[in-house]
Amino acid sequence: MERFLGDLKPGERACVEHIKGGGALRRRMMDMGIVPGVELEVVRCAPWGGPLQVRLKGYYLAMRRGECAKIIVTGSHQEPIEHLLASR
Amino acid sequence: MKIALVGNPNVGKSTVFNALTGSNQQVGNWAGKTVERKSGIIQRATQEIELVDLPGTYSLTAYSQEEIITREYILREKPDVVMAMVDASNIERNLYLVLQVLELAPRVVVGLNMMDLAQTTGITIQTAELASALNVPVVEIVAAKGKGIEEFLTEAIRVGELEQDPLPIKVSYPDELEQRIQAMEALLVGTAWAAKYPLRWLALKRLERDPEIGQEWKISPALSRKSKNNDSCCDPGDAVNYELQEVAVLPGEELLRAYEAEGWSKDHFEMAFADAKYKYISQILPRFRSHENLTKPTWTDLLDGWILSPIWGYPIMLVVLAVVFWGSFVASAPIGGAVSQAMAWAADVLVRLLQWGHAPDFVQSLVRDGIFAGVGAVLAFVPQIAIFFAFFSFLQDSGYLARAAFLGDRFMQLMGLHGKSFFSLVSGFGCNVPGIMATRTLEDPKDRLITMLINPLIPCVPRLGVMSAVVAAFFPGSRGSVVMLSLLLISMILVMFSALFLRRVVKQTERSAFVMELPLYHIPTLRNVLIPTWQKTYSFLKRAWTFILVASIVVWVLSSYPQGVPMSATWAGKMGGWLAFIGGPLGFDWRIMVAIVFGFTAKETTLSTLGILYGVAADASQSIAQAMTGAMTPLRAYTFLVVYMLYIPCLASVITTYKESGSLGWTSFGVAYNLILSFAMGWIVFHGGLALGFQ
Repeated sequence: MERFLGDLKPGERACVEHIKGGGALRRRMMDMGIVPGVELEVVRCAPWGGPLQVRLKGYYLAMRRGECAKIIVTGSHQEPIEHLLASR
Repeated sequence: MKIALVGNPNVGKSTVFNALTGSNQQVGNWAGKTVERKSGIIQRATQEIELVDLPGTYSLTAYSQEEIITREYILREKPDVVMAMVDASNIERNLYLVLQVLELAPRVVVGLNMMDLAQTTGITIQTAELASALNVPVVEIVAAKGKGIEEFLTEAIRVGELEQDPLPIKVSYPDELEQRIQAMEALLVGTAWAAKYPLRWLALKRLERDPEIGQEWKISPALSRKSKNNDSCCDPGDAVNYELQEVAVLPGEELLRAYEAEGWSKDHFEMAFADAKYKYISQILPRFRSHENLTKPTWTDLLDGWILSPIWGYPIMLVVLAVVFWGSFVASAPIGGAVSQAMAWAADVLVRLLQWGHAPDFVQSLVRDGIFAGVGAVLAFVPQIAIFFAFFSFLQDSGYLARAAFLGDRFMQLMGLHGKSFFSLVSGFGCNVPGIMATRTLEDPKDRLITMLINPLIPCVPRLGVMSAVVAAFFPGSRGSVVMLSLLLISMILVMFSALFLRRVVKQTERSAFVMELPLYHIPTLRNVLIPTWQKTYSFLKRAWTFILVASIVVWVLSSYPQGVPMSATWAGKMGGWLAFIGGPLGFDWRIMVAIVFGFTAKETTLSTLGILYGVAADASQSIAQAMTGAMTPLRAYTFLVVYMLYIPCLASVITTYKESGSLGWTSFGVAYNLILSFAMGWIVFHGGLALGFQ
């Protein structure tokens, strides 16, 4: 089953598998470091369906749910992993 | 020597720029863009260096204005050296930009900033290893404390003076990609273009079908404008314009088509190149970065736990906004009062001098009631704007503004706007001028324009003051608060409606992406707060004062000629009579129309205008409003309030819109939209009220 970044609960991590769609949004995501293979963690969600706070490559990003729904992820897990992300 | 400063947003670029250039800054806009252009001249030994602070950007593709400017500058003006600032705490993404810069310009010096911040998160960077991994000099800096900045510049000068271009590392692309790049390189190597740009970059961009490749640009310095305006601060615009000379088609079209047939479209190439760069970074990363797992959460984590919390986030934001509003619009009142008193005193002195010199009465009146009264009314708002901008710079630099955008985004989504519009719109409740100026943080030009155009619909503090005085006179007791709330509700509904409507007008088909960095919190330097505050205030004054002076004189002439006649017989009064046909359907008499016309310069003068028209002396706003109750029904007063709240806030806001949008067309559109909307709403309210049997 396909899982999207928006499906993750706060505290869950997953790796980017694929980004749907193209154009400026995809380019923007690429520039911010969201490329296949990168691990993302949903830190928290703003209330009433607001944006998500996402951690990747050691920094924080805010993204709307609509945008998160374009990112297909795999292998979500919660245990801490040997990665820089765990330290922050 | 020309040096360009490049880096991601929030890496401390402006701190370095401010430290190096000090007060020798030229601030303006990039030609044809609404992005700030900052440059400065530095003297070091025998060298005169022009340092250009390029806008903060994440990439050198050609999507956002910032990216285009940075890329065009490096491509077309060919700076001798590029100083690339890198955030040590976020080095992976920062190096992505550095790799792009390295493909374009060989003479690069990397400035590694925020090492202290990185250490608090458990990251250590070996500077020497990083330098050897990239094969470019790396200088450690702590910009906030001023450490290493001079060394950064010295290193840049040294690299700029090298006889030969250094050879920075090359990103190793996967084989299937590398073969295609080399095939393209082979086609391009003999052309004239290969002499102008690095071959590898040219091949990559050709594969991406970048439109810029093959365009010949001529740099034409806009001398006329420069010579007219050699102010040290606040240049009106870029000194340089680009002219497209010719467009050539580069070889390789067949190859590109062949690749497309294999499924390698331009998007595919773009993605593959970005992917390869990130892969390359993660390959070299272990050579210079080590990290230990800290059990202790960082400051940013702790603060975000509160600031972004679903429960506490909004109350905290309210407190922050309350402090900003209190500081800018309440605490500044004595300063504003002092400014108007100083103006009144100066007017008195001048008038006495004129009397002593037996100047005619009308000159005295022009000086006192025209120039000083009008200009003073606007000058009294300058402290507000300055203090607001100090807060704004502080919030932006510290990282809070991004959090406010995060929290406010949900509401902005309803209007199809970006989260960053939130702060601009909220600021409008204080004063629309800084509200419109605050749209600078928006990256998408269309989002910016929409936010700018709807901002005047939000009632600012002076308007709220006048409105509450009128409401108190017509609707005493608890009815007043209901009326006031209903007015604010109308304003909010119209802001929302207008945002959705204007999206169609500006033809915004694609909603801009809300993919925004939440930078680590840090305490801004005093200089980083004060310099932009000074520049914003100064440029506002510089642009606005002529308009305000002229408007004050016009208002004075209209309301005092012909001399010695009652108000209704002056030109202003007659104008009100002509305009009564517009006001008539709304139940306005000529006095209201005059007050509305004069409200253009500054709306807070409306009450005193009405006072004069209703024959009430003094400035006691209560008595003026009381005098109006005798002449108007509550329904008419309500209609007046609706129109008053919605039409153009003041001349200064119109000038600011013109300056920020850079377009006379959109400014006029905004003014017309405001006027039509306010009168249409007034008509609906008046006739709706009559139909419902209100009086």
